[in-house]
Amino acid sequence: MLLRWGKNNIAFMVLFFVVVAIGIWIENQYYLQVLTFIGINSLLALGLNMLMGYAGQISLGHAAFYGLGAYTSAILSVHYNVNPWLALIGAVLTASLIAFIIGIPTLKLSGYYLGMGTLGFGMVVHVLFREWSTLTGGASGFVGIPPLELGPISFLSVRNYFYLVWLIMLANMVICRRLIDSRIGRALRSIHDSEHAAEAVGVDTANLKLMIFVFSAAMSAVAGFLYAHFVSFISPGSFTFLASVRMVTMVVIGGMASIWGALLGASLLTLLPEWLHAFADYEMVVYGAVLMIVMILLPQGLTRGLTEIYERSRK
Amino acid sequence: MNGRENNLKSSLLKIESVSKTFGGVQAAQDISFKVSEGDIVGLIGPNGAGKTTLFNLITGVYTPDSGKIIFEQTEVQGREVLTLVKMGIARTFQNVELFENMTVVENVMVGQHVRTTCGFWGAVLRLPGALKEEKKIRKNALDLLEFVGLESVADRRSSELPFGWQRLLEIARAMASKPKMLLLDEPAAGLNAVETGTLAELLNKIRSQGITLLLVEHDMNLTMEISDRIVVLDQGRLLAHGTPREVQQDEAVMAAYLGKA
Amino acid sequence: MQELLQYLFSGITNGAIYAVIAVGFSMLYSSTELINFAHGEFVMLGALTLVTLWGGLHLPLALAFILTVGIVSGAGFIFERFAVRTVKKPDHIVLVIITVGASIFLRGIGMLIWGKDAYSVPAFSGHQPLDICGATLLPQSIWIMAIVGIMVFGLYYFFSRTLTGKAMRACAISKRAAWITGIPTGKMVLLAFMMSTGMGGVAGAMIAPITMSSYDMGTILGLKGFCAAMLGGIGSLWGAVIGGFLLGIAEAMGVGLISSSLKDAIAFVLLLAILYVRPGGIVNARDVQRF
Repeated sequence: MLLRWGKNNIAFMVLFFVVVAIGIWIENQYYLQVLTFIGINSLLALGLNMLMGYAGQISLGHAAFYGLGAYTSAILSVHYNVNPWLALIGAVLTASLIAFIIGIPTLKLSGYYLGMGTLGFGMVVHVLFREWSTLTGGASGFVGIPPLELGPISFLSVRNYFYLVWLIMLANMVICRRLIDSRIGRALRSIHDSEHAAEAVGVDTANLKLMIFVFSAAMSAVAGFLYAHFVSFISPGSFTFLASVRMVTMVVIGGMASIWGALLGASLLTLLPEWLHAFADYEMVVYGAVLMIVMILLPQGLTRGLTEIYERSRK
Repeated sequence: MNGRENNLKSSLLKIESVSKTFGGVQAAQDISFKVSEGDIVGLIGPNGAGKTTLFNLITGVYTPDSGKIIFEQTEVQGREVLTLVKMGIARTFQNVELFENMTVVENVMVGQHVRTTCGFWGAVLRLPGALKEEKKIRKNALDLLEFVGLESVADRRSSELPFGWQRLLEIARAMASKPKMLLLDEPAAGLNAVETGTLAELLNKIRSQGITLLLVEHDMNLTMEISDRIVVLDQGRLLAHGTPREVQQDEAVMAAYLGKA
Repeated sequence: MQELLQYLFSGITNGAIYAVIAVGFSMLYSSTELINFAHGEFVMLGALTLVTLWGGLHLPLALAFILTVGIVSGAGFIFERFAVRTVKKPDHIVLVIITVGASIFLRGIGMLIWGKDAYSVPAFSGHQPLDICGATLLPQSIWIMAIVGIMVFGLYYFFSRTLTGKAMRACAISKRAAWITGIPTGKMVLLAFMMSTGMGGVAGAMIAPITMSSYDMGTILGLKGFCAAMLGGIGSLWGAVIGGFLLGIAEAMGVGLISSSLKDAIAFVLLLAILYVRPGGIVNARDVQRF
């Protein structure tokens, strides 16, 4: 177990240096921007991965928490002139509270029904974003979200924002790793393997599922905050059912129950539309086809699937 | 029957007139018996007699339609499974239900969940109390694995174990919650003669730790050999209750098993 | 009073459409335990295909209608063969993602073939709205209800009286047992897909005259149809019908009496309500149910 701890920390260190290096060397603003979005999406994927991959619960409405984070922070910092960093706390608290309230009845459902419940919830929140115009700006969106700054450091430049996002992502990766290697993590994995046996052994499955649901919602809210203050304009169109689907896809394609899988899935799914711009009209067709093909051929996700192929070819 | 003997040892578990019906089938009909602390009690009966139902009633999976289940002087019928585990009732399953994607030692570590406390913040912040507890959890798990003889495969994936060892692992996991009473659902099923002998030794070892055992079994040799008392069920009713010898000579039992002569 | 009646009429019209979509969902679920998130796209295909065949190529209506249903069923055939049958690990999550991927794929195809425009087609017969007690009813609504009625009774007959239908029900209850008794389960699943998507095609064809059809109309319709199926009780034929009409009327009443901005939310609020209170839906269906 000590060796595993070492291996993970080394990996995190490597990522840290890669991030620093990218920030120093890459000049192209567009690339930096894409990499920043990858970071934000990775955060989304990581949170959802904890819920889906480790606890084994499916959520088809998680974009709602992403949006709640973004809108809460936007509303607080623009309408109420709250310092954006305090608005972040507000965003996380709001998303967590709503996740708690909605989680209690929803997590009692299982399998398909849980997916449906979260889908329904996500749609309702989306409609609220779209129709509650006095608060959210409605379908035309919310403008004027202030950039971030911390003392003398301004995060107006893409490079600085890139660092901010990835630092937060790294911190969250460490947090998740610690969680997984702990008593809580083991209990979560036991629920995933056999909820029935977990209960028989004394694991409070209802509480744990709720805990991880709230945790993943909080992470999505942080990602929403980072998104809102990066692009300074948000609209309900970014938090639709499709956005939730995209989040699930990132987790599933990258590989569930894998922290690095979340990173891989997020990278791929952020880059794919960029590459597909070249295809213009064929974008949706290719996107859909890629989804289906990966799921049909490598259902355990790319990280595990490719590792298995590699291992098999070595024999 | 041996009322005086029973009263000398305290009754850990009392089943009083427990009944349970499913749809039109009476799985349990007015069952009453006591389990003394420190005993090994064998629950036998033909298939469909209601043994697993009784287990599920005792462990909180089902609630009896009528009657009481009293554990350590407290009424527990209808309580949640989780509560009963906390109170000290643990069980294993007929079809071994391990955490297949976790290692052997991790399975036993999860078994300690109800006796440990490290929560979200302790884990994330790596608080010293949490780290200490984690070391203890692992040590306890390895000790338990040694107790059942599985310490050599501690880091193997539990699904890779041969069946007999999976059963042992499940027992170790059940013991991890420090139960006062352990319910074993057909622990010898699928085991050969040698493995069954090892199991018998293990059960006696467990009893010597002060844990009361209640087991459902079809293996008559094993049951008669290690049980202090036997409860015989047939079609949801209690047929006989006494020492193995008494039960073997009971006419009603013979009729049920062998058919009326 | 007149207004209420008007809401009721529009509610019943939409309800019939939701009912047809819901029946497609439920039918497939009861035969295969699969929720096809791409179902709405087959509705879209039905609508746009009818637009092309009838509105564009001016084929006779009956022919165009039948061809449309055939083409959409054919698409369902391809979908089952390529996307569902070939799955290595038929896990819930995996299948959900596949159908979601298929939904995006089909929408992309729709966009390639028909572009981003919205199309309209004339009503099947008669353009004069009917006046009933002061409320208006489009003749197309009567067509819709008639077709839904025929379809529902046809399905009822199919599942309870014909051998194939009973065989399909057997597969739904236990695939293995059905297979052992000699029922070709593979073909049954395929048939279920074709029937389900075919029904989606019928729904699309029916609504083409009363909405603007475009490549992205399928998503929200599919989701709402799904809500209706859950509302009535997933896997149940009557449940889907009841759920569909209830949803349609609830939406119409909500829009008319409260606010039109909440229209889309109604379906999902009802979905949540039924999930929390009575997951089996109104008819209290349980998981794999008889159809």
